[in-house]
Amino acid sequence: MIAIYFISALLIALTMLTIRNLQLNRWLMVLFLLIQWLFNGYALMHRGETEMYYFTYDAAGILFLGLLTLISTAAAIQGLPYFTDPLNKRFRYSSAALTGLIVSITGAYLANDVTLVWILVEATTLTASVLIYSERTVHALEATWKYIFICSTGIALAYMGILFASLSMKGTGMHGLSFDGLASVAGKLDPVYLKIAFLFVLTGYSTKMELFPMHTVGIDANSVALPPVGALISTGLVNLGFLSIFRIYKALSSSPIFGWMNKVLILAGVLSVLVAAGYMLKAKHTKRMLAYSTLENMGLVAIAIGIGGIGYYAAFLLLVLHSLTKSSLFFQVGQMGRVLGTYKLDDSGLYLKLFPIGAIALLIGMLSILAIPPSGLFVSEFLILKALVAGKSWFVLVLVLILLCFSIYAMSTRVLHLLFSQPRENAAAYTQEIVGKWETISQFLFLLIVVGACFYQPPFLIDIINEITAGLPNL
Amino acid sequence: MFYLLIVLFAGTLVYISISERFRSYAKLIAFQGFLLFAIALIELKTINLANLIFVSAETLIFKAIVVPYFLFRIINQTKVYKVHPKAFPAFYSLLFTMAGLFISIVLSNVLKNPSLDAVFMTIALFTLYTGVLLIITHRRIFSHMIGFLVVENAVFFFSLAIGSEMPMLINIGILLDIFVSVLIIGVLMNHIGNQFSDLESDNLTSLKH
Repeated sequence: MIAIYFISALLIALTMLTIRNLQLNRWLMVLFLLIQWLFNGYALMHRGETEMYYFTYDAAGILFLGLLTLISTAAAIQGLPYFTDPLNKRFRYSSAALTGLIVSITGAYLANDVTLVWILVEATTLTASVLIYSERTVHALEATWKYIFICSTGIALAYMGILFASLSMKGTGMHGLSFDGLASVAGKLDPVYLKIAFLFVLTGYSTKMELFPMHTVGIDANSVALPPVGALISTGLVNLGFLSIFRIYKALSSSPIFGWMNKVLILAGVLSVLVAAGYMLKAKHTKRMLAYSTLENMGLVAIAIGIGGIGYYAAFLLLVLHSLTKSSLFFQVGQMGRVLGTYKLDDSGLYLKLFPIGAIALLIGMLSILAIPPSGLFVSEFLILKALVAGKSWFVLVLVLILLCFSIYAMSTRVLHLLFSQPRENAAAYTQEIVGKWETISQFLFLLIVVGACFYQPPFLIDIINEITAGLPNL
Repeated sequence: MFYLLIVLFAGTLVYISISERFRSYAKLIAFQGFLLFAIALIELKTINLANLIFVSAETLIFKAIVVPYFLFRIINQTKVYKVHPKAFPAFYSLLFTMAGLFISIVLSNVLKNPSLDAVFMTIALFTLYTGVLLIITHRRIFSHMIGFLVVENAVFFFSLAIGSEMPMLINIGILLDIFVSVLIIGVLMNHIGNQFSDLESDNLTSLKH
């Protein structure tokens, strides 16, 4: 089935590139999304099975695939207003690249081999860069250059990590580098090589996860890309970066470096939250502010994994709810940009008056992402703090709490300015494009799920997260 | 012969770190491609023919001919021939490079593994160090590109070091080379060249806050 999925997606992407008719192109996107949903359903029904030797429908893959399918469908709908001019050829490249991006992320979620994940992650760099450059401005060029250059260097580092892991496996009789194979021999491998491998992999894939130290690329990309693309980068790709690191982490959890990996993750997490808080206080661009919020949340995820115990559950819950909230916020900020004609905070204001329904979605989204009850993120962040208390990590706990206060202050003052205040500068730049009320449906739907998760987390979600984290040592 | 090639390769790295002319960079990258071809031929004689052809084609055709051709084309198009006037002085670069060589030797001895040649590890680490140094200390995008190509050569060395047991990894490394280098050099550099005539990374700093 996965072969059929890949081939049909490839054919659709190639057809998108050649067809100059906008309507036909849109129908092809509908067809692709239909195939994506069908494949998602198939994966769900064949949980645990392996296909083509390299792809396994495991719990982690299925969880993130479901989220990706949901968000990419919404992103495709939200992307419609950006490509209306049939004479403009950009839609051909953009729709083909979007298809390519979704397919490569899907493949990487399900891949059970370290090297294959790495190839598919590289494929996401190429397809995402086409999408980032779709605006063809000087800013877009800068962001694309940085994205390709830093991501490629990062991916090269991740590859070196993989090579170090291979080096340590020499003599064990293992050929190839499947996650299960690595896990089965991890206890016998040279810890020094494993530490180097993990450091390289973490640094390399931090470009995708938007985690310290190589978070900058994602932030530049998000501030330039069209909002629906930004939504996909901040959720689907970020989750991919996390999963690529987590799979290596889990495979090496039986090795002597487990405790050391946790310390590294906590350090990377704390530094991410610190950088995010600092830059959020200086943010003057709405999409950039959202990107720093992603950095903050990924920092919390890294801390949660590093601390272990209930932190594992909290990390996955946070990832799921963050994906839904962040994509809603990007969609909403996109609509705000169309109404106000700018994403610059100083030039924006009075959004509540100009587009009330969108402003309400933005307000709920802000409350949700800041983990203010009744947001489901409150539960996950509360559990992370609980894990920190249980682990007696007082210093990290106090530091994270203080930094979170900074982030809450920075984001809430900015969003409230957008909603209620007069623009500080250039108010005349407003274009006041008409945005349909129906365009906010996806945001409200996603946010409803996030709020619902504060009161009730469905058993299938709990089961799937428990299945993913099963086998990890309890600290 | 093998050691001579390795020493020659290290020599090109030192030369790259002190060179200030883009044409010298392009020539050195081409020369490194030839050296990698020769090293691959000596090192990988035990693996199968298909892999050997693949690796050789990549080093000889891609690294030694195609990439330098693109580099020369960019130099001719943009008419930027030297590193930035305020670039990191060559003398300091030389000092840093020598320190890098020393660190690589020490590190490779620390990481000694019975299944790995320490010389291979040293040159791989030194190549990685030089590439990263070039990216950090230079201001023009062309130098960054050269730094990236040098990092790619380091990756090639690493994959070659374990290549005799895992040839698939080498093919994947090559795939990365072809994918990314062509994309960056061929497509993006031209676009950036059209937008900014002097190809300075300072031009690419408008995205802040």
